[in-house]
Amino acid sequence: MKEMKRYSLTLTVNNETHALVTPPNRTLLEVLRDDLQLTGTKEGCGEGACGYCTVLVDGQPVRSCLTLAVAMEGRKITTIEGLAQGGKLHPIQAAFVEHHAIQCGFCSPGMILTSYALLNNNPTPTEAEIRRAIAGNVCRCTGYAKIVKAVQSLAGEER
Amino acid sequence: MEKFTLIGKNMKRIDTAAKATGEAIFSADLTLPRMLIGKALRSPYPHARIVAIDTSKAERLPGVKAVITAQDMCGDKWGVFRYTQDQQFLPTEKVRYMGEEVAAVAAIDEDTALQALKLIDVQYEALPSVFTIDDAIAAGAPQLHDAYPNNINVHVKIDVGDIEKGFNESYLVREDTFSAPEDAYFQGEPYAVVAQFDQAGNLEIWMPNAGPHMKAKPLSNVLKIPLNKVRVRKITIGGAFGGRSEISPADVICAFLARKAHRPVKIVYTREENTVATRQAHALVTKIKTGVDREGKVLARDITCHMDGGAYSSTGPIATSVPFLCMEQAYRMDNVRYNGYRILTNKPIRGMYRVHGRAFACGIDIQLDMIGAALGIDPLTMRLRNARQTGDYTPTKSYVASCGMTESIVKAGEKSGWKEKFGKLPPYHGIGIGCNSVQTGFPMGIRGGSQAFIKLNEDGGITVITGIVDNGQGNDNMVVQIAAEELGLTPDDVQLISADTEVTPSDPGSYAMCETFIGGNAVRLAAQDVKKKLFRIVAGEFGIGVDNLTARDRKIFVTENPEKSMSIAKAVRIALSRNESISGEGSYWPNVDPKREWVKNPYGQLSETFSFGTVIAEVKVDPETGQVEVLEVTAAQDVGFALNPQVIEGQFEGGVAMGGQGGMLSEFLQWHEGRVLNPTQFGYLVPLAIDMPKINNIIVETIDPNGPYGAKEAGMSVAMSAAQAYCGAISNAVGVYFHDYPITPDKIVKAIEEKKQKENAEVPG
Repeated sequence: MKEMKRYSLTLTVNNETHALVTPPNRTLLEVLRDDLQLTGTKEGCGEGACGYCTVLVDGQPVRSCLTLAVAMEGRKITTIEGLAQGGKLHPIQAAFVEHHAIQCGFCSPGMILTSYALLNNNPTPTEAEIRRAIAGNVCRCTGYAKIVKAVQSLAGEER
Repeated sequence: MEKFTLIGKNMKRIDTAAKATGEAIFSADLTLPRMLIGKALRSPYPHARIVAIDTSKAERLPGVKAVITAQDMCGDKWGVFRYTQDQQFLPTEKVRYMGEEVAAVAAIDEDTALQALKLIDVQYEALPSVFTIDDAIAAGAPQLHDAYPNNINVHVKIDVGDIEKGFNESYLVREDTFSAPEDAYFQGEPYAVVAQFDQAGNLEIWMPNAGPHMKAKPLSNVLKIPLNKVRVRKITIGGAFGGRSEISPADVICAFLARKAHRPVKIVYTREENTVATRQAHALVTKIKTGVDREGKVLARDITCHMDGGAYSSTGPIATSVPFLCMEQAYRMDNVRYNGYRILTNKPIRGMYRVHGRAFACGIDIQLDMIGAALGIDPLTMRLRNARQTGDYTPTKSYVASCGMTESIVKAGEKSGWKEKFGKLPPYHGIGIGCNSVQTGFPMGIRGGSQAFIKLNEDGGITVITGIVDNGQGNDNMVVQIAAEELGLTPDDVQLISADTEVTPSDPGSYAMCETFIGGNAVRLAAQDVKKKLFRIVAGEFGIGVDNLTARDRKIFVTENPEKSMSIAKAVRIALSRNESISGEGSYWPNVDPKREWVKNPYGQLSETFSFGTVIAEVKVDPETGQVEVLEVTAAQDVGFALNPQVIEGQFEGGVAMGGQGGMLSEFLQWHEGRVLNPTQFGYLVPLAIDMPKINNIIVETIDPNGPYGAKEAGMSVAMSAAQAYCGAISNAVGVYFHDYPITPDKIVKAIEEKKQKENAEVPG
């Protein structure tokens, strides 16, 4: 097999910089999971449909399975491991735990990051806005009711 | 003083903080030193003889460390029952479905493994295939297995009472046929396995499972190593829904690759592989003939059901029975005959599913609506007149110790405004009701019972050791909650070792809804055993009887005089200094009839107790597009007792999504000659957050006499009754009773067209 040319890449993930050398065809998901051992980011479908691989790129939710790692030079990436600070859950994580918005947990990292981005962009989303924001994140366990509740609990007053 | 400190409360789950931070490790997240990547080569034919396999080119590819075929195994056939042993993990003679494993490789990385698969040369001789039930049982049809003539894999026959007499006495009799294609599990986590052997020949293996002991035994058999060398380890599991219940070829293949390569191997399925090569839910056609009296009470039922089982038996005898059993539990029927056939086709293998047999359950229920309409009785009253009651025996002779069916119907009716709405809603706006009942565990061979151990630490904390597995529903938390409650500890005082076959005792697995009832009872008994021993020590110190003591807040105190107390830590230290054992043991075997057998003798106590529930759904249908908007769903279920109400609500809400919203509106597998056309996430439409309606949860508690604190199952019944309620609601909205599911927009538009044509034809002139 012909070796693919490798590129050097500086990746900023959760405020840490990583100097990497990687073939250009690898996805951000692969680099996060395999090179940086950030396995909180999950692969569910590999085609951008399930949302389990969601990470934040400059604060916006992005499918890491559809994103090439080499395109991420100079971008600020946040994975689920980057939310809790000093071992303390971020309020959005705490809300998911408190409101039983997590069952099997496979969708939770992506779901939490999408919700986090929503609340950053719109601190007082309505229920409809929450549902629309997380519509790209599949959850097979919860029926979404408690996820919506968890996000609502942080959305100023509940509406 | 409140009766409980933790039980019955909305306790935060012990496992979810790790899941919220990404710390929880799933099988695909594991990495071991020197680990290889494994991949399976799959059959491109639905039915073919394997003439030859040449792996020499693949073996020579640099980076390939092991290649296996059936030659590496002993040709053993596996089955859940002795009489269904028909599946080789790598087949020797022929492949029976498109996607079946024929060989596998382990290589230093995924690219190399995939390249190696292309270098394996398999010569097939294509055989004629069958893809439908009708084709499979037709005269002269190609046969899948010699052991099952006419491709009839299982025939379950149940005959109770006198149905001819019942039909003769009936005021109204009708017969209808209902059908649905296969559904897929779409668990969040695609299947993944990691396996390694040590120098002593011990296998360590991680994979999603619904019972580690259910995995260990077949691994021991096929690897020809004793059971104590198979260490199925605990790992976070991303959903099961019935689809992780058995050994998977991937488990066996991964273990064989690891043994051959002398290195750890990881196999991670793609989404497509998870859909095609784990399990699917059965397609089903059922003919239901029902006779009722003038009041709508069922006098006789005759049911014939054909289920498409795919290429192998899997849990066939159980799968063929459960759709019927759920409904014989839910509704009274004294005279009933059931003929269930599981038919083999050249399609992937079908197993147990949370919404098991949607066409069966919907058929029974929607036919009650049809009968009610003919008699002028509304659907809710039809349910009340036929509802199962406490103290009944089911037709197949299970005693019903607790039953909240009527209460669930009444409460769901009130909450949903049934009386004000049924028959009074505007056009294309409808309301429907479904009732169901599910078993709370049935034994699977020797793994029918559960055992638990509890050890105490010097500081009064405990470690619970149990075989219970958590697939995501919260079983780990349930165990901690029960142990902490019994011993007056906080959840933080409890450590859990579970679902590890090296350490934890036998347990039936998270299967047939049995963990809370069977495993939970075992843990409770183990905690009570510890408590008894601690009380003996404290009673001795205080010079009083053991009956006068209570454990709470990490203390044991005199019930009548709470000031007088001893910390549990101190009681433990006294025990240690006296060399007195205070470890606890508990075991629970459900009270079921050991002579009952799925095919040979389907009579006797099936499960110790049963859940009962009702879902009511209200929908609006767009007659132009056939789109269904679900306005509100009310789910009421008798769960015995709610150990953790929000966990139960989560089961209800997830059940409505899977059974109702997905199962009745959008979810089904599409086929072309044995090939699944929509195995991907984009192809198979599971509900999203924007799809889901408002859900009202009603927890009905009947306090089962033998459930832990009165609890029984909560995970499955709503999923099934939601499907039935959606079916009723859409039929009510359109004014046409639907017989084929899911009820997709095309079917709705067609039904509306046909109805209009029929009405126009009836207009004279």
